[in-house]
Amino acid sequence: MTPLHHKLLRDIRAQRAQFIAVIVTIFLGVTLFAASYDSYQNLAASYESTFTEFRFANVTMSGGDVAGFADVARQEPGVDSVELRTVGDVPLQMGGLKLLGRVVGMPPDAQPSVNQVRIADGSYLAASDTDTALAEEHMADHFKLAPGSTFEVLGPTGWQTMAVGGVASSPEYIWPARNRQELLTSPDNFAVVFVPERLAQVIVGTDGPNEAIVYYIDGVEDEALTDLLLAEAASRGATVSFARDDQPSNAALSEDLKGFEELALFFPMLFLAAAGMATYVMIGRLVHAQRPQIGVLLANGFTRRQVLSHYLGYGVIPGLIGAIPGAVAGVVLARVITGFYTEMLSVPSTLIRFYPATLLAGVAFGLVASILAAIGPALLASRIAPAEAMRGSAPAGRGRPSIVERIVPSLRRLPVPWRMALRGIERNPRRTLFTVLGVVLSLTLVLVSWGMLDTIVNLMDKQFVQIQQEDATVYFAGPVGTDDVLALQEVPGIAAAESVLQTPVVLVGDDRYESILTTFDSGTAMHRFFGDDGRERPLPDDGLLLGGAMKGILGVSAGDSVQLSVSGYATEARVAGFIDEPLGTAAYASRTYVETVVGATLPATSALIRYDEGAVVDEVRAGLVEMDGVAAFEDANALYDTAQKYMIFFYLFVGVMLLFGGAMAFALIFSAMSVNIAERTREVATLLAVGTERHQISRMITAENMMVALFGIPLGLGFGYLAAKQAMASFESDLFAFDLYIRPSTLVVSALAILVVALLSQWPGLRAIGHLDIAKIVKERSL
Amino acid sequence: MAVSLNSVWKTYGEGATAVHALAGVDAEIPSGEFTVILGPSGSGKTTMLNLIGGIDDVTSGDLFVEDLNLTGLTSDERTAYRRSTVGFVFQFFNLIPTLTALENVELVTSLTMGNGAERAAAVLEHVGLAERLDHFPAMLSGGEQQRVAIARALAKSPPVLLCDEPTGELDFETGRLILDLLRRVNREENQTVLLVTHNAAIGDMADRVLRLRSGSIVEDRHNANPIEAGELTW
Repeated sequence: MTPLHHKLLRDIRAQRAQFIAVIVTIFLGVTLFAASYDSYQNLAASYESTFTEFRFANVTMSGGDVAGFADVARQEPGVDSVELRTVGDVPLQMGGLKLLGRVVGMPPDAQPSVNQVRIADGSYLAASDTDTALAEEHMADHFKLAPGSTFEVLGPTGWQTMAVGGVASSPEYIWPARNRQELLTSPDNFAVVFVPERLAQVIVGTDGPNEAIVYYIDGVEDEALTDLLLAEAASRGATVSFARDDQPSNAALSEDLKGFEELALFFPMLFLAAAGMATYVMIGRLVHAQRPQIGVLLANGFTRRQVLSHYLGYGVIPGLIGAIPGAVAGVVLARVITGFYTEMLSVPSTLIRFYPATLLAGVAFGLVASILAAIGPALLASRIAPAEAMRGSAPAGRGRPSIVERIVPSLRRLPVPWRMALRGIERNPRRTLFTVLGVVLSLTLVLVSWGMLDTIVNLMDKQFVQIQQEDATVYFAGPVGTDDVLALQEVPGIAAAESVLQTPVVLVGDDRYESILTTFDSGTAMHRFFGDDGRERPLPDDGLLLGGAMKGILGVSAGDSVQLSVSGYATEARVAGFIDEPLGTAAYASRTYVETVVGATLPATSALIRYDEGAVVDEVRAGLVEMDGVAAFEDANALYDTAQKYMIFFYLFVGVMLLFGGAMAFALIFSAMSVNIAERTREVATLLAVGTERHQISRMITAENMMVALFGIPLGLGFGYLAAKQAMASFESDLFAFDLYIRPSTLVVSALAILVVALLSQWPGLRAIGHLDIAKIVKERSL
Repeated sequence: MAVSLNSVWKTYGEGATAVHALAGVDAEIPSGEFTVILGPSGSGKTTMLNLIGGIDDVTSGDLFVEDLNLTGLTSDERTAYRRSTVGFVFQFFNLIPTLTALENVELVTSLTMGNGAERAAAVLEHVGLAERLDHFPAMLSGGEQQRVAIARALAKSPPVLLCDEPTGELDFETGRLILDLLRRVNREENQTVLLVTHNAAIGDMADRVLRLRSGSIVEDRHNANPIEAGELTW
């Protein structure tokens, strides 16, 4: 170790508080990067591995001429396998619970060549099984099903008891979505069972398979082939067709992956920028304070390059100390996150790998950020003129009244300590700028995370409280008339019932879009519709109301016509307007309008009901489930409650981010304010010498620091809002409409929290005032 | 007596590394006297001034300033003492760069007399800076900055003025002007002045000279006929 190395280490030890603050910020930034990026890589690899291992379909077609489609697909080069199967949504009964579940047909004895399942418990379906099913893992976990358990399924002949032969997880239901319009489901409302194909046809009531699934050679995506097959599916009357990317479960998982990718870039960038700023401020101060020492070094023959690398060392050391354990912690954390996540989602194949590149990149990011921050002050140090530096007379800045005093001259009549505070802000504009930036970055971090939480809470409220007005949905065993629906009102505890017809639909404009058409009574009290402008509008009798995303996809405006295909029947329909709904992109119409278009009276497939005030839900439910025609009952609150349960993860996430944001704010503001106080120790000592009380000095410094922090607050709120908006927009798709919503109280609390952090971060510096060696400082040459 | 030191010791460090900056100093300085404390580096002259100014603690012995025993005062009591009893003039001026000449002085007067802008302006006028009230330190010469520092020290009318190498950063002519100013306020306001310097020539203008070496007073000399500052040469 050379003497310069000793100096470097001892200087760091002497200013350990500031260095620790920088190291912690770098550590957090690199940890976040490595944890989120490795989680992203692990999850993406797990999904990919699952898709390959279980031969997840590249293209799926439902409805229409699936057999003809399968024949064509088999001829296409690049296609490995095509399977035909039967899939249908049918009522299931578990214990006293009736729900609308899904039956998926599987070839007995051997796994299908496309969309295989992983048997987690029990055994695969055998040809001899006529009443045995595989329960999908989410369902099995929720209802505590194991091989030997039973449940009932509603077939054409009535309720049929089925035995659980095994528990299976499937690449199709890693995220248990019913369809693209219903990505969020509750285990009480949606469950999947796999049964032998012939049994599936019996239960669903079809003569043959109604779905074709295609797997490419090695599962490798081929965009041209996919386009060709989707076009073929459309021409053969598909009601639903999608590529692997758009498969409901996979689409939801992709949104999730995107979240990790965003996390891996956005948040670490914030932290490393903050660490860089703190390093810059800290080393800048060090160089300023060590001008005479630098002068002596240069005068004694040290080269400018040696001085440069010496001061770069003040960046390299905290960079390495923060980045290396940060990267290791991140990689370890990623394994925990991936394990927890894949287990929670029941991902059939979990791959947790060690990615050396992440480790190296994490260390490199931390190091680069701190070296970049050190370059400016280190260059300045290497360019100092030795004679001038040793004389110790740094160029004195010209004092002048502050900008605000010049704009508002009456401020010059403020007490001197206040004028001092005002001018202190402009005294070192760069440090003031960094303090402001510190506040801005911290608020941005807090608002992006908290904004995400507020948006989701608002989204849930909008969907489940403002838009959906029903208390429950009752599904019938078959189509029923409106009288049957009205009869439900006679059931004790039910205040109102309305008939609903839900059907898969294909809308064609400039492009085609597969969705669900829901038909309500005109003037429905069960569903509210809000336009793009946020204003409520009635359900019109002269056209369709379409989800906002369709405006761009179909290239249509209000008043235009679209082609509407339902179960192979196509007609023209008028677009009456567009609506803003957070979940899915659905189509709505009044019963009157649809009956006019099709020229027939529509049946109902389900009923929306509302309870009497004070009704006991369990009793109403029990009464309904007992009714003959009722096949399933879906509690509107179940999904909302499930979602609320998952909110704990968001609260946890926001809590962690608030902690991280607080730590970052503390580190940044602490660095800036420590330097602020360090730069004026001479003034403080002089003030103490002339009899100024410590608390008066603390008040002056606090006033100045808080004015700077306050200046950063509106900027931080504005920037944070924009960043949060950008972050939410990146999740926007036809599946979710994430319109950023931040509660005013969030803005207020965030701003106050940052101010409190700023106030606290001064504490060590202000405390140091009490320990100043006045006699020594007032005797020192000014720097 | 304005200042009285009885067996005052000031020791830094402990055991084998202990350094006695002052080793049992005894001195009596009457009110209104202009005293110059001389000595080479490390002799303890600044330590003595700091102890009298209440910015450092005695290790043992008694130190009275204006009949107040500084030994054992709390931090707050020492602050109050500094506010009311002593004024400091430093070698490096120690002005606050963001405040004008007037504001630098007003900062001190506001502590002792609320809004003391008028008093601050009057003191600055007294030290010959009536035309420089709104100038910031960076706009003033070294002599002018030291005059602002003296005005700051005088503004609260302390009975004792403590000057630590007040000419150390100034050229010969400016240094003499500052010394002349200090002597003038000593006579006009009857303030006790203690001036620390390593420049022996300055002793010729003092009423009394204390010479220190290795923490002890080795000479205590009264000048029967002190010369005027303008007559000093070095």
